[in-house]
Amino acid sequence: MAAIGLVAALALRRPELAIVAAPFAVLLAIGTRLARDPRVEVELAIAAGRTLEEAEVEAVMTVRTDLPVDRLELLVDLPSGVEMADGDAACAIRLGRGEEREIPFTLRCSRWGVFALGDVDVRARDPFRLVVWEERCSGQHELKAYPSPISLRKILAPVETQAFSGSEVARVKGDGVEYADIRDFVPGDRVRSINWRASARRQELVVNERHPERNTDVVLFLDSFVDVRRDDRSTLEEAVRAGASLATRYLERRDRVGLVGFGGVLRWLQPGMGLTQRYRLIETMLETGVEPTYTWRDVNLIPARVLPPKALVLALTPLADPRFVVALEDLRARGFDLVVVEVDPMPLVEAGSSEVEALAYRLWALEREVLRSRLERLGIGVARWGDVALEVALEEVRTYRRYARLARV
Amino acid sequence: MLGPGVRVAAVALVALIVALVLGWTPLVPTALVLVGGLYAAQLAIDDAALDGASPVFAAGLLVTAELAYWSLDEREGVLGEAGEGLRRVAFVALLGIAALLVAAALLVLVDSVRAEALALDVLGAVAAAVTLLAIVLVARRTQRDA
Repeated sequence: MAAIGLVAALALRRPELAIVAAPFAVLLAIGTRLARDPRVEVELAIAAGRTLEEAEVEAVMTVRTDLPVDRLELLVDLPSGVEMADGDAACAIRLGRGEEREIPFTLRCSRWGVFALGDVDVRARDPFRLVVWEERCSGQHELKAYPSPISLRKILAPVETQAFSGSEVARVKGDGVEYADIRDFVPGDRVRSINWRASARRQELVVNERHPERNTDVVLFLDSFVDVRRDDRSTLEEAVRAGASLATRYLERRDRVGLVGFGGVLRWLQPGMGLTQRYRLIETMLETGVEPTYTWRDVNLIPARVLPPKALVLALTPLADPRFVVALEDLRARGFDLVVVEVDPMPLVEAGSSEVEALAYRLWALEREVLRSRLERLGIGVARWGDVALEVALEEVRTYRRYARLARV
Repeated sequence: MLGPGVRVAAVALVALIVALVLGWTPLVPTALVLVGGLYAAQLAIDDAALDGASPVFAAGLLVTAELAYWSLDEREGVLGEAGEGLRRVAFVALLGIAALLVAAALLVLVDSVRAEALALDVLGAVAAAVTLLAIVLVARRTQRDA
């Protein structure tokens, strides 16, 4: 504008135009002369590296500059799934020479996952607002948000137990608490095992037999072939949430829990027990994502020690990919105790407005019914988890297994 | 029937309003240049003696530009600290007063040495060229820094 004013003043021979242009030129000259890069440094510190979904985490952003900044705009670049619970992602402050300022705020993870944090966009302006310095300060913070647990009072018991002591009443007889039967006394039996009331009735010594408490092996078989997603709901996210809750409940009973992520990328974790295993399991599940693949996957790819004999295999799947269904049938054919927790994708898919779309939707629903029946005929319990709570869905499978397993397993 | 000056002023006003409402930054200098052009046209047509209101016009133009860019800055919705608005108001007011003083000083200078001479024309052309060169250099430096 100053240049245009000066040129116009010369062309029209009117000094007033130069006078009008002069303040702009003076401002430009002084402003650019005084402008200096303030060299802003930004550090982001997060109170915890791990949190729960929907839980809040405190964070502090420390800003310092060498030179005074009239207006320093800071924008914390938050990844999808992380939001500000308290404070603003964008703020503007004024800093003096060499001043350091701490800006506290609170983050909240709206969904589970591993989030990279620490990127802050910085924009500093000189006092005349003529020059702007923009910079992106990158940090190396990782925030792991664990899935929020689902309330589960009762979980599924495997058909067979393992050798170590645990909380599951075994079907075999041995030392334990739960009464099983009585039998004749044989030399070597402990005196405290004698059932004196029954012995008096029979006029010979009989002893009590009991069921021992044993641990079990549980393998979570996670379907990562496909993810049915709508708005903020996703079958994979729900499957991981259910998997984390089930793993926590089984580990609390001193069971060994393993994981197989079966999909485009095969991930596995050998069965183990304890708090460390819980963290390992959940963090492995957090890394699970759908990797598109057209190759056929076979259960032969899974290392044998990841699927120990007598283990209960809990498959978490939307039953939407035929490769996973075949893998389930294959596992059942190999004699594994198998239960499918079906993360129902039907509510996530709209039926459509036209008659043909509605018909296709009904056909798809019928095909899914047929698939469930086929799996149940093979002795695989299917817990349909959609509108009902997970515990209710598991209870249906418990009932199914109570009446079906002796005949079909 | 409206005169051409009023029409140009109306266009400039519309351009400024559109710039502020839609956040189109390039329309702000366009509006200011239009108003400046209107002023230049008025001076050229009237061919009057030295206009004593030019410092006020210069200060008004600068303050309008500052307020317009401030308004555009506020569109980003970045909350500033308490008191920042008052500081900015004071800054704009000071800037307006300084512009008024600079322009008035220049007016006095021009009035006192008002003479038709080739030397003065050459001096003015050189000053304009130096200013343009300075603007180009500043623009290049800003580009390099970016």
